[in-house]
Amino acid sequence: MAAGTSSPEMDAVPVRVRLTALLRYTIVFAFVAVFVFLSLQAPSFFTTSNLLNLLVNNFALLALVSLGMTLVILTGGIDLSVGSAIDIGSLVFISLVSSHHPLLVAVFGGLLGALLVGGFNAFLISVLRITPFLATLGTLFIGESVQQLATNGGQPIYLITGNLPRGFTEIGRESFWGVPVPLCVVAVGIAGFLLLAQRTRFGREVGAIGAQSGVAWYSGIQVQRTTGLVYLLSALVCGVAGIILSSTVKAYVPLSGNAYLLDSIGATFIGTTLHAEGRPSVIGTVLGVLLLSIVTNGLLLIGWNFYWQQVGTGVLIFLVLAVSFLGRRARA
Amino acid sequence: MHTSLADLGEPLPNARRSRPTAGWPSLLIRAGSLFAFASAMLYFVIVAPSFLSFGNIANVLEQSAILGVLSFGMTIVMIGGGSNIITGGIDLSLANNLGLCAAVYASVLRNGQSDATALLLTLATGLAVGFLNAFAVVGLGILPLIATLSVMNICAGFELVLTQNTVIPASSPLLSSLTDSGPLGISYLAWVLLALAIVLVLGVEFTPVGLRLYAVGAHREAARAAGLYVKSYIAGSYLLSGICGAAGAVLSASLLNGSSTGSGAILLSIVLTPLLGTVFSRRLVPTITGTFLSVLFIGFLINGFQLTNVSSYWVNGVEGVLILLVVAATSLVRRGES
Repeated sequence: MAAGTSSPEMDAVPVRVRLTALLRYTIVFAFVAVFVFLSLQAPSFFTTSNLLNLLVNNFALLALVSLGMTLVILTGGIDLSVGSAIDIGSLVFISLVSSHHPLLVAVFGGLLGALLVGGFNAFLISVLRITPFLATLGTLFIGESVQQLATNGGQPIYLITGNLPRGFTEIGRESFWGVPVPLCVVAVGIAGFLLLAQRTRFGREVGAIGAQSGVAWYSGIQVQRTTGLVYLLSALVCGVAGIILSSTVKAYVPLSGNAYLLDSIGATFIGTTLHAEGRPSVIGTVLGVLLLSIVTNGLLLIGWNFYWQQVGTGVLIFLVLAVSFLGRRARA
Repeated sequence: MHTSLADLGEPLPNARRSRPTAGWPSLLIRAGSLFAFASAMLYFVIVAPSFLSFGNIANVLEQSAILGVLSFGMTIVMIGGGSNIITGGIDLSLANNLGLCAAVYASVLRNGQSDATALLLTLATGLAVGFLNAFAVVGLGILPLIATLSVMNICAGFELVLTQNTVIPASSPLLSSLTDSGPLGISYLAWVLLALAIVLVLGVEFTPVGLRLYAVGAHREAARAAGLYVKSYIAGSYLLSGICGAAGAVLSASLLNGSSTGSGAILLSIVLTPLLGTVFSRRLVPTITGTFLSVLFIGFLINGFQLTNVSSYWVNGVEGVLILLVVAATSLVRRGES
């Protein structure tokens, strides 16, 4: 495997190897380059209001979903049903709010709805031992059907403004000391996942399962239980994202959560380029989400229309992946 | 290389003690799924007598053409990439490739070019997308899942640029003749699906090239040691998938009279059908025949629901339950064989 390049005999290491070691930080360079480029090109980019807007509208929800996805991919699985968890969470939340339940009950119900999706995944994966890809694909399809049946084929549920429970609008808008609530939630989420992944027994177990699930099992780790918990956790953050999403738009729009699926997988895998062995990490994922959201926001500001924006984002991600995988291959 | 990601998507320990073999449990699964297939059909025949009428079968074939052609492309990529879905072969760009190709086809026609030019440019577009995938996977060594994911985004972007997110109407002699009914009163759309199915079944299941593609997917190192030029087979599978995307685009343009938005929605169905089709193979691997049968099964299911007035909202759910049943049964068999 690739030897560490931080040894004292650094001078003996060929230039090419040192160069490829640098490629590991492609994502950081890309991030800085894009940031500087956008600041120079669009004067309105590097302003507090725009950065805040970027963080709330582009970053927050994707970051939440991607945090769960990171742990799931860290165990060696994948969660294709994040869309269902987001949507079911949002569906239950909005239904409870529109039938005049207190906000706390609605939030609790929404989270429970999302956990139901996660629990179903956990059952399929940990008890029935179905491969995560197929299990969550099945859950996704079932989730779509449930939503279509519940909403008469995909009719959105709109809330009537003026008749909202106390504190509802604050979820999407209000701020603590100038920081919007969604951002506070994301910050807590990131901190929590960082601690969980790096400072707890659970986090180490998750990493061990991903590295060598067989060895982890023989070492006495309860592989099934830990794996199941990871899918529950993923659904939980999706539920939080669903509640924030539906309280900002004051509606439940069926099948809207699927938009986050591919972006969260993309962000997590962009984040893996940060790691020498290509493993996902919370920091990497957050950087990946930041890169995606800055590009989306920035290209809009420098006047690219929405359509070219998609091309630009796609090409940029392709290039980041290409450079870092080439680096990884050269080191191997 | 990426050692740590190597066992992404594998079932948890205990569940993977052995490779699937051609024993009686696999026979049981295959018999069981054929039985389920047959009993579902029987139910529809009893409830809706017109179900098995010739016209209705032709109708199902026509409606399944697009899903079928795309699923064949996905199957070829999955065969060449191996059974592990995440590190193995998958082409997530296929659905958006169709969208992009249909947009190219419709806009070339709109500019007053002939059918032949449009067809050629569409094919070139599909091949270019396939080439980009092949380059990313084989040349750059990016995991297929994320390589094709980013190509998918690029396709979606170019499609938006071309269509400005609107429907481009298109009509041409070729497009209208595809929906015409041909021999036996079956439309040419359905004939294209049947013809492609026969060609690919023969080509992939019964030729040395197809066998080698399976060898590459089953054990890449062994295939390389045996002297196969592994890279060209994998690259070739993505190129073929790109061609399938272009072919699907022409069919979709003729069915919808132009390009349409939202082609990406079909993606998960394209991933699902080859996996569902594994129950129709002796070693429980993706095959063209199995994919064709599962495409028909889903087509008949949707059609049967329509005939018996069951809400189409159930279709996704039933597909989801089916895949879970299939996979649960398969993994039980694998555990039992250890």
